[in-house]
Amino acid sequence: MGALESIVAGAAANLLAPAVLFFALGAIAGWLKSDLTIPEQAAKTLALYLMVCIGFKGGVEARASGLTAELVSAGGFGLLLSFAAPFAAYAALRSFGGLDRVTAAATAAHYGSVSVVTFAAGSEYLRAIGVEFGGYMAAVLALMETPAILAALLIAGAPGRIQASAQSARFKPTLWREVFLNGAAVVLIGSFVIGVMSGERGMARLDLFVNALFQGALCLFLLDMGLVAARRLAEAPQLNVRLIAFAIGWPLLSANVALLGAHALHLSLGDASLLAVLAASASYIAAPAAMRIALPKADAGVYLSLSLGVTFPFNLLVGIPLYHAAARLLYG
Amino acid sequence: MKLATRTKLEIFVEAHAVDEIERMLRGMGFRGCSVFAGVEGAGSHGSWRQTGVEEAGMRLVVTIGAEQAAQAALVWLENYFAAYPGVVALSEVKVLRAERF
Repeated sequence: MGALESIVAGAAANLLAPAVLFFALGAIAGWLKSDLTIPEQAAKTLALYLMVCIGFKGGVEARASGLTAELVSAGGFGLLLSFAAPFAAYAALRSFGGLDRVTAAATAAHYGSVSVVTFAAGSEYLRAIGVEFGGYMAAVLALMETPAILAALLIAGAPGRIQASAQSARFKPTLWREVFLNGAAVVLIGSFVIGVMSGERGMARLDLFVNALFQGALCLFLLDMGLVAARRLAEAPQLNVRLIAFAIGWPLLSANVALLGAHALHLSLGDASLLAVLAASASYIAAPAAMRIALPKADAGVYLSLSLGVTFPFNLLVGIPLYHAAARLLYG
Repeated sequence: MKLATRTKLEIFVEAHAVDEIERMLRGMGFRGCSVFAGVEGAGSHGSWRQTGVEEAGMRLVVTIGAEQAAQAALVWLENYFAAYPGVVALSEVKVLRAERF
């Protein structure tokens, strides 16, 4: 089978994966204004469950492989990507997207930070087509959540502004707590550490919980994500063609930068593909929570609609197989 | 039945601000409050909906106390709303067991 046929076959298989089809079901239901809803607390529980599974499995696999040069390389490069990306994204959003300074900085934070569910979908895609990757990529995921938020604060000059305003200064501790101790980061890193500590014996005890049930939970969560994404798009009059082009073009660019870096660092094909998925993903849990506190004047309708309504579906439906295909071409 | 006049504040803010608002209210002399979660709504910045994903959590903090405490809280909130979104409404209410407020 030629490279092109293989890429098309991979993309088709991805589109017919249950998780992706459930996302499509949610999106169609949301678009048709169905009364289908996933209760808020159920969605939060599912998100927590997915993070526990990803973190724990990553920890167990990282313990098995030990502290390798790949882990250090992937982690260091992931940190660098996450911190540097918002500066470039900010410039693009200001010049090409025409956003105001604060909204551009907040949006840039979302595109430098990462999406746990996109990572989960990317991991499942690679598993489905038999491509191996390092368990430590879960740690890279956790490492890439925060630097972009700090970069966005630097871009917007937020720390200085927060101190300049007596009222906002009261909220500084809340901001740092949100940046470093947000629930997603605590659960993800905590589960990873627990996975490292308990190893294979821990996995034997939690096997059914973290492996057998994972796909079903991912389907249910993606059903909710489809609903949320469709409703977000329907209620986003701020979006224009240029911003939508950014939300699709930026992940393509980021993924390719990540692939080139991963190739230069001699990471495996699977690790490079996942790093590209991470670089291409946009946050919609950690970054919005931090931006609401740090940059309250930023337009949440812009950054959430772009990350959740455009980039997330694009990555899920098209991006993930595309990034892996690009990785395969690069790796020969 | 003995009713007394007190002032009720209804403060609608993002979830991250609730701890700070509660601390402020205690500092102004309010002896308690109740917090309710928002579901969905619309305002000057468009519509919002509480989901399990985006964390657009909105909270309604309701408290009843002395007029003087309410006025002091309003000054603090005016400052707060210069930076963050939210709404506050003040009303005069009749309460039983006035010693609790």
